[in-house]
Amino acid sequence: MSIIEVNNLTKYYGKSRGIVDVSFNVEEGEIFGFIGPNGAGKSTTIRLLLSLIYPTSGSAKIFGKDCIEYGPMLRQDIGYLPSEVFYYEGMKVLDLLKYSASFYKKDCSERMYELAEIMELDLKRRIDDLSYGNKKKVGIVQGLLHEPRLLLLDEPTSGLDPLMQRKFFDLVREENEKGATVFFSSHILGEVQRLCSRVAIIKEGSLIETQDIKTLQKDTYKKIRIEAPGLDEKRFLIDGVMNLEKFDGAARFFFKGDINTIMKLISEQVVSDVTIEEPTLEEIFMHYYE
Amino acid sequence: MNIFLRELKANFKSLLIWAFIVLLFAVIGFAKFSAYYGNPELLAILNDMPAALVDAMNLNAFNLTTVVGFYGLMFSYFALILSIAAAMWGSDIISKEERDKTVEFSLTLPVTRARLVTAKSLAALVNCILLLLTAWGAILYGASSYAPESGFNTYVAISMLALFIMELIFLAVGIFLGCAMKQYKRVGSIAVSLLLGTYILSIMAGLDKHLDFLHYFTPFSYFNPSAIFRTSSLDLTYVLLSAGIIAAAMAGAYLSYSRRDLYI
Amino acid sequence: MNIYRHEFKMHLRSDIIWSISQAAMIFLFTWIFSSIAVDAALLTETLSQFPKELLIAFGMENLDLATVLGFFSFAFLFSQILLALQAANYGFGILSVEERELTADFLLAKPISRRRILFSKVLSAFTGLTITNIVVWISSFVFINMFKGDRTYETSTLLKLLLGIVVFQLVFLTLGMFISLLVKRVRNVTPFSMGLAFGMYVLSAFGGMLGDVKLELITPFKHFDPGYIISNQAYPSTLWISVAYIVVSAIGTYVLYQRRDIPAPV
Repeated sequence: MSIIEVNNLTKYYGKSRGIVDVSFNVEEGEIFGFIGPNGAGKSTTIRLLLSLIYPTSGSAKIFGKDCIEYGPMLRQDIGYLPSEVFYYEGMKVLDLLKYSASFYKKDCSERMYELAEIMELDLKRRIDDLSYGNKKKVGIVQGLLHEPRLLLLDEPTSGLDPLMQRKFFDLVREENEKGATVFFSSHILGEVQRLCSRVAIIKEGSLIETQDIKTLQKDTYKKIRIEAPGLDEKRFLIDGVMNLEKFDGAARFFFKGDINTIMKLISEQVVSDVTIEEPTLEEIFMHYYE
Repeated sequence: MNIFLRELKANFKSLLIWAFIVLLFAVIGFAKFSAYYGNPELLAILNDMPAALVDAMNLNAFNLTTVVGFYGLMFSYFALILSIAAAMWGSDIISKEERDKTVEFSLTLPVTRARLVTAKSLAALVNCILLLLTAWGAILYGASSYAPESGFNTYVAISMLALFIMELIFLAVGIFLGCAMKQYKRVGSIAVSLLLGTYILSIMAGLDKHLDFLHYFTPFSYFNPSAIFRTSSLDLTYVLLSAGIIAAAMAGAYLSYSRRDLYI
Repeated sequence: MNIYRHEFKMHLRSDIIWSISQAAMIFLFTWIFSSIAVDAALLTETLSQFPKELLIAFGMENLDLATVLGFFSFAFLFSQILLALQAANYGFGILSVEERELTADFLLAKPISRRRILFSKVLSAFTGLTITNIVVWISSFVFINMFKGDRTYETSTLLKLLLGIVVFQLVFLTLGMFISLLVKRVRNVTPFSMGLAFGMYVLSAFGGMLGDVKLELITPFKHFDPGYIISNQAYPSTLWISVAYIVVSAIGTYVLYQRRDIPAPV
C-alpha cells in the first residue's frame, strides 16, 4: 500500500486551472520532493490531500483510504506545515501548542516540550509578538508534536535562518528514520537535493516527471570546467555540449554523451585544471523553469 | 493626489450601495406618502394639539398631511443612514491599511503621514458629499410629484446642511478612531457602538424634560427638524459644538497617527 | 470539546461587554420610566384621541407609555437592536474568522470533520448569546421591580416577551453565518452585521410607518414586535417566518460549509 496515491487529480478554480490530471505515488519511508515554479500547483496538491479544497475530478488516497471520506481520521497521523503560518491573536505559544495537541488521541506533551527545546522556542511568549521566522518554528513544533506517520511540508523553511533550517532538516530526517513518510514541496532545489530520494516536477498544473534523484543526476549532464593557458574554447564545441562559455580564462560547459569524447579532447590539450562534477538540481531544472 | 484617487476608486462600490439604500428609502417613503397627503381627518386632530405637547414628545409631530411634515419625519431616518455611512467610511479608510497589511507599502511612500490622512479623509469626505447630494436629489424628486408648499426647498436645503454636519461629525470621529487606536480590529465596532449609543441616548433624552442635558452628548439631538422649519436656521450652539467636535477629532487624528507605531 | 472552549474564550470578553451594555440600558430606561410615568399618563390620554393611521405612522399604535409594560415595550425595542447586532456579529464572524485571520490552515488540517468544527462554533456562539440573554432576563425583572413603584404588571406577558429572545437571536446568528458563506470574502464583519441588524430595524420602523404589510413580513423585529406582544399577550402569527429563516439558514450553512474550498492565505 502506498502511503499517498494520487489518481488523475484535477482542480479548477472556476476557469483557471489549479492542477490537471496529476497522478503519482509516494511509498512508505520515502522523502518525496515536489518541485516546480511559483503557481505550478504545489500548494493546490497539498491542500487537496488535506481536503481543505475539493477536487474537480480524480481522487487521492492516504494510507489506502480516500482522503476526503476518511479525512478527519487520516489527519490523526498527518502533520502539516503550511508555507505561511498564522495563529489566533492573544495566545501564548504554549497555549497554542496545547490546543493543537488536544486534537490528537495520543499524549503529545513530552514530544511537544522536546521539540520546543530543539527549535529553541520560548513557550511563554505571545505569538503576536514573534517574528515571522519564530512563528514558523511554532508551526514546525505544532506540526510534529503528534509524531505523525506522514508529513506534508509546503515550503517549510522560508523565513528560517540557516542554522534553524539545518535543525529542521535534522528533525525531518529523524522522523523519517523513525518511519515517517515525508512529502516535501519546495522551490529551493538545494534543500530538495539534500533530503529527497525521489522527486516529482510540476509545471503549470501538470506533472512533468517523476524520478529518483540519483537517476536524474546520472541521466543528465556533467558539468565540466577546463582551465588551460591559451585556451580556445571552441575546440569543445562538439555534439552534446551545451552552454559553452569562457569565463576567467577557463571553459565551462555541460556535456551529455560518451564521456570519452571529452576525455580525448582534454588530453589533447595541456591543461592546468579540470573539474568534472555532477550538476546541482538547480542547474538541471533551471530549464524546467523557463 | 494619487492616494486620493485610489481611495475614491476603492470606495466607489460602497458609495453605490449606500446611494442605492438612500434612493430606495426616499422612493418608498414618498410613494407611501400619498396615503397621508392632504388627509383632512389628520389635519383636524393635529390642529387641536397643544404645541408644547407636540414638542415634548420629540416626535416632530408635524402636519403629516403636508410634504414638509412628512419630510420632517423622514429626516431622522436619513440622519441615521447617513451617519452610519460616514462612520463606516471614516473608520475603515484608515484602519484598512493595517487590516489588509498594506501598511508597508502605503506608509513607506515618500509622503508624510499627515498627507496620507488628508488624502484619505478627503476621499471619504467626497463620498459623504455625494451621498448627501443623492439624498437631496431624491427628496426633491420625490416631493416634486406632490406640489410641495413654499419654503420647502429652503427647508430641505437647511436640513441638508444639518445632515452634512452630522456626517462630518461621525466621519471625523471615525477617522480619529482609525488613527488613534492601536487595535485596528476594534475600530469598526467602537465606531458602531458610539453611533448606537448616541442614537439611543437621543431617544432617551427626548423622553423627559429633566434629561434635556443629555441632548448635548448626542449629535442626533443637535438638529431638530421642527425647530429648523420654524426658525429656518440651525441652532448656533449646536453648530459650534459640532465644529468643535470635528476639529478636535481631526486634530487628534493627525497627532496620534503621526506618532503611532505601525506593525503588521 | 476543545474547539468549543477555545472559541468561547475568544469571545467571552465581547459577551461581557454586550451583557453589561444591555443591563445598563435597561436600567436607564426603567429609571427614566419612574420619573416620567406621570407625564406619560397625560400623554396616553391625548394619544387615545388620535386616528389610527397617525399612531401607526409613529409606531405607537400599541403604545401605552404610562403602564409598566407599555413603556418597557418601547425600551425593549432598543434591547432588540443590541441583541440583533450581537447575534449578527457572531453569525458573520465565527466562520469567516478562520479565513480572515488566516488560521484556516491550522484548524481545518486537524483530525476533525467540518461538521464538528461547525457545531462547536455554533454552540459556543450560542452560549455567549445565552449569557447575554440571561442578563437581559435578570435586568428586566430586577429593574422593573425596582422602579415600578406601586404599579403592577402582568408577569406572563413579560415572560412571553423575554422568551422570544432566543429565537430572535438565532435568526440573526444563522442568517449571519449563511450569508457569510455565500459571500466570497468577509474582510470586515462590521458593515455586514450592521447592515443586517439595522436594516431589519429600519424595515420594521419604516414598514410600520407606512403600514406596508410586506415589509413587516420580512423583518424579525416585526415578528417579535414588543408592542404587539404586550397588547395582544401573544406572538404575532408571522413568527413562523423567523423560524423559517433559522431552518433555511441552518441547513444552508451546513451544506455550504461541508463543501467549502478553503483558499490558501493570500
